[in-house]
Amino acid sequence: MKKTLAIGGLVVFLAILPHFAGQYILYMTIHIMLLSLFSLGFNLLFGYTGLLSFGQAGFYAAGAYGCGKILLAFPSLLAGIIGGVAVAGVASFLLGILCIRHTRIYFSMLTLSFGMMIFSLAWKWRDMTGGDDGLVGIPRAPLEIPGLLRLNMAPMENYYYVVLGFSLLAIYLFHRLVHSPMGLTLQGIRDSETRTACVGISVRNYRLISFTIAGMYAGLAGALLPPLESTVTPPLAHWSYSAEPVLATLLGGIYTFAGPIVGAFLFYILKDIIVRFTQYWLICLGVIVVVLVLGFRGGVMSIFSGKGGQE
Amino acid sequence: MSDIIRTEGLGKYFGEMAAVHEVTLGLKEGLFTSIIGPNGAGKTTLINLLSGYLLPDRGRIFFRGTEVTRMRPDKRVKIGISRSFQVMNIFPRLTVFENILLPVLSRLNKNSRPLASVRSQKEAVAEAEKTLQEVWLQEEKNSPAGKLSHGDQRLLELGIAVASNPQLCFLDEPSSGMNPIERVKVLELVKKLSAERKTTFAIVEHDMDVVFSLSDWIVVMNRGEIMAEGKPDEIRDNKEVRDIYLGEEI
Repeated sequence: MKKTLAIGGLVVFLAILPHFAGQYILYMTIHIMLLSLFSLGFNLLFGYTGLLSFGQAGFYAAGAYGCGKILLAFPSLLAGIIGGVAVAGVASFLLGILCIRHTRIYFSMLTLSFGMMIFSLAWKWRDMTGGDDGLVGIPRAPLEIPGLLRLNMAPMENYYYVVLGFSLLAIYLFHRLVHSPMGLTLQGIRDSETRTACVGISVRNYRLISFTIAGMYAGLAGALLPPLESTVTPPLAHWSYSAEPVLATLLGGIYTFAGPIVGAFLFYILKDIIVRFTQYWLICLGVIVVVLVLGFRGGVMSIFSGKGGQE
Repeated sequence: MSDIIRTEGLGKYFGEMAAVHEVTLGLKEGLFTSIIGPNGAGKTTLINLLSGYLLPDRGRIFFRGTEVTRMRPDKRVKIGISRSFQVMNIFPRLTVFENILLPVLSRLNKNSRPLASVRSQKEAVAEAEKTLQEVWLQEEKNSPAGKLSHGDQRLLELGIAVASNPQLCFLDEPSSGMNPIERVKVLELVKKLSAERKTTFAIVEHDMDVVFSLSDWIVVMNRGEIMAEGKPDEIRDNKEVRDIYLGEEI
């Protein structure tokens, strides 16, 4: 009951936020929601399936470039977002076929390598990606369903509601997924691949499903970025960008549903505070993560669940 | 009585060492079979080969007359071959109930549902509850499996192995690490499950008192080969087996 009230309160708060918050707060909140989606997908692989990926930024960028290209050619926000998710989904499915054949460090190295291949592609394939200049002048096209709906996205508040809507839907679907028989199967794979195979489950198939869904969540986060920033550049695919969902998830908690969301919030708040004092904010954030990992291996959420240090 | 599983010239080699060599064997359906032998005899490797955990370098395996030599372990479970492991192999972060539910969902082909709630799978939930009772873990239902005592974890592993409702189940030292009283209780439970579920069990076990009192058939391995097989009395009277493995204790 308490949990339901807290979630309801948070949703209401987010829904009324544009009525009293300024542009910067809305901009920050959008970024927190994008990192939440990005981190949720990452945690489906890491916390629920036991696969540590260092290449999720590649799929984030695939979603961003996919959406950017569509919006530049065809100004429909919905088409851009769906197209971006589809591009990331196809990319993660194809690369997943190769990556999920391995586990542990070999899997991590493969994802890192493929992520950097996507980065190189974004950097070098100038005709398609705009090279190091990236894609610029991407319009924040109206949200249009022919014959039904046409919403102008020029005001930040309107776009904020689109991101909020997609985020809530994606978080709800994620909640259903991890509490479903498929979610249980993924957790079984995380705990013991051999035992999972010996209860009649094809471990590779489920790893591929997990990898593809994680890629689509990264792609959704990426696809929601170009209409906000009007630009997409190659650093989005860089491996260092893949570290953001890793840090957010470690901050919030690996083995809890809400961990990555709480972690994404903390990541941006800490970054926003620390960056006012030093440009070396990542060092400070790193120290905080190290302290949390040593003291509370289940992240901040483990403090609330009373399992601090036991995870 | 027909063979539920049969091998022809089965071999597995790790470099120069023959872990299993030229094993031609048939396990009879409905018989409680024990595989015994000294450490390093190849008992676990044989189970690994029969359950698909390892692929053989030589020979063939038939389950109910169908060749399964190169079949993946998950496919073998689907056709009715299950197993437990010598080293504890459970899902430590899942609850005891979820540990049992997972193989049941898999057997009912319901584990690929992405948006349905686990609790809404009524048939699977009821079956998992029944299996929990069978292996005496009802009271630990909501405990994380990793927090159970060693004995309870062994029971849980047995529960996971039978939850997929196998026709043939291999148990690799199901009572290891237990005291003699617990050991007898667990192996009597296995025998009971065998009768109630009509499952053919083949176990690897080191407690010879238990083996000889519960088994219908005994296979003796030594240095990767089948040294002898027969009824408990026949094995007890086999001089070669007594010299190499049993000694005078039986």
